[in-house]
Amino acid sequence: MRYNEKELQALSRQPAELAAELGMRGPKKGSVLKRRLVKLVVNFLFYFRTDEAEVAAVLLERSLLLGRTDGAALSAGFLEDPERKYHFACGSEAQCQEWMGALRRASYEFMRRSLIFYRNEIQKMTGKDPLEQFGISEEARFQLGGLKA
Amino acid sequence: MKLNERSVAHYALSDSPADHTGFLRTWGGPGTAPTPSGTGRRCWFVLKGNLLFSFESRESRAPLSLVVLEGCTVELAEAPVSEEFAFAICFDAPGVRPHLLAADGPAAQEAWVKALSRASFSYMRLVVRELESQLRQARHSLALHRHSSWKAIGSHCKPQAPDRRSPGLENGHSPSKDCSPVDSVEERGSEPAGQGLAEWQGPASLFLDRRQSPAFPETSYFSTLHNWYGQEITELRQRWLRRVWGSRPAREKQDGP
Repeated sequence: MRYNEKELQALSRQPAELAAELGMRGPKKGSVLKRRLVKLVVNFLFYFRTDEAEVAAVLLERSLLLGRTDGAALSAGFLEDPERKYHFACGSEAQCQEWMGALRRASYEFMRRSLIFYRNEIQKMTGKDPLEQFGISEEARFQLGGLKA
Repeated sequence: MKLNERSVAHYALSDSPADHTGFLRTWGGPGTAPTPSGTGRRCWFVLKGNLLFSFESRESRAPLSLVVLEGCTVELAEAPVSEEFAFAICFDAPGVRPHLLAADGPAAQEAWVKALSRASFSYMRLVVRELESQLRQARHSLALHRHSSWKAIGSHCKPQAPDRRSPGLENGHSPSKDCSPVDSVEERGSEPAGQGLAEWQGPASLFLDRRQSPAFPETSYFSTLHNWYGQEITELRQRWLRRVWGSRPAREKQDGP
């Protein structure tokens, strides 16, 4: 699949929602935990492979996030292969919670659901559709249903 | 650059909502000239959020390409072959050529340009934040409104309770006007045990007198009203209970743990 690599690289240099140096282990068998600079920008997680001066990207839509019960580690898996997970080791439980929350919110799907929720609440309270001012009240993506591909 | 392509492709094919779909002519792709020429290639495009996927056909099991739509603008454009309804996705990033696309007709062209212009995550985030703030304001002004009308009545109906707040501070609401009919009701017939009930009945009947009941048009405010009344009832009950216990003989109190 072709993709606009240059733009994605430019995106990785944009201000991040959250960024930190974390221990990270990729989904491949036998991969080891390495310190990486991990950066959350829109719905992508970028991580920098400092030894190779290269950035890699992970799209975060429909990711499955799990935190470990002893607090400082979390994993991100994906629906098509739940066993293939990215593992992150955080410095503390607090940092882990912070990343879990941020990763959970870093998806377009989450944004969409939030928007629909707020729109309905505001409509119930004020009787007005808050999207009208933006001229986007008719867009399919903001309706409770939504198109299927 | 590495990307979790399998997950991305899976997402493209999944039943996650598509924001726009349709056939478009495209001029990008491997083996094509750097400058768009000819009639382009007709592909099936699917927009999901800030991700624009193309497929060979509607039945394809794998996407041909992905364009991530952050930091771009969408403009009408000239197609290499005239009479096409063309538009281009333009990026700020250095060395990046615009992605040229063409729709089947003017309506489709307009729809695509609109959809793609508003597709970015950043745009979505702006709208969500704006709505969050609007909702907060709506809830706040509702609470203030109810609070001021309720408290203004309440503070004048509980002669023994200290005034916790000056009603005059809230929304310029003038308490004396609203409460004068109730004052006279409260000062009559007030034995300690009964006062809790009287306080509760007083304001409610005052609401009805003012043609304003909890069911008045903002029935949609119900959950807020429910919480509000719940709090008031709890407080009133506690105050009532304290008065009741206070009037019992001292030895009963000493029996406690």
